Amino acid sequence: MKTKNRMIQSVFFISLIFLSLTTFGQQQKDPWSALQLMEPENLAQVMNDPKAHQPVILCVGPAATIKNSIEIGPAKELANVANLTHYLKNIAKDEIVVLYCGCCPFDRCPNVRPAFEALNKMGFKNHRLLNLAHNLKVDWIDHGYPVNE
Amino acid sequence: MIRFFAVISFALCLQTRVVHSQPTLETGSRAPEIKLPTPQGDTVALSSLRGKLVLIDFWASWCGPCVAEQPHLASLYATYKNAEFTNGNGFEIYGVSFDSKKAAWLKQIEKNKITWTQVSDLKFWSSPVAKIYGLEEIPFNLLIDSQGIILAKNLHGEDLAQALERYKKF
Repeated sequence: MKTKNRMIQSVFFISLIFLSLTTFGQQQKDPWSALQLMEPENLAQVMNDPKAHQPVILCVGPAATIKNSIEIGPAKELANVANLTHYLKNIAKDEIVVLYCGCCPFDRCPNVRPAFEALNKMGFKNHRLLNLAHNLKVDWIDHGYPVNE
Repeated sequence: MIRFFAVISFALCLQTRVVHSQPTLETGSRAPEIKLPTPQGDTVALSSLRGKLVLIDFWASWCGPCVAEQPHLASLYATYKNAEFTNGNGFEIYGVSFDSKKAAWLKQIEKNKITWTQVSDLKFWSSPVAKIYGLEEIPFNLLIDSQGIILAKNLHGEDLAQALERYKKF
């Protein structure tokens, strides 16, 4: 019985350590917090509300597909990170800035991390990453949310 | 209880509608027609390749795994281009790019020395082809026979090589 209890305790502690390590690893990997992810549905609601304050929407991926978004260029290239910081130079640090790429899921996307890190470094306080968990087609276009013609 | 069954029936009906609205891309069905411009500007239709075994390769220069796969496709193309298959005479790759910038597309074509058919409407994920084929991610490919019928879906690496070998005439 004692041996069984010890085994259960060991499994519990090993699981706890593994969970802590993976959580820590995740925090190390992504420069955004869960609260900084913006759901596509929420952005579409704001965009469709003429009375709502419109955020600055920046595309840091292959093509500015979301309506009225500004094309910065893929942020995996240093020159485009420079474009991004240049564009944001005159934007108030408390402005709502929404970044998106949408080429692929976040774990494969080379663009969202350098872009988000740049905004962190610049001291923005209300920047968000559009939560396109699959890609722009599945999470935005297929829902009929507003796109550039 | 009646309300419970009503809700379930409604949900089932809704699900059926959703399923029916998806394109049929099962093996045995015909691959929908694609007619898009090549880098040179002329249009090449998928149907113009009838008679050959064709791999439709959905890719883009911004897609890391897609680009990484191109040397393997080049090797298969060189090996099987003129081979005879049980369901096609010769092998062709019809590369459909979801790029948005022509320069980026051309750069990867040149870098990977791609000599097979390449087409794109340069519309990124807004391309009607992505919708018609119900694509949810790339890389994605379809192996179709000489009549445009889908033989296999999403084969990569050794699986693709084995499929070509399997269909080859000895």
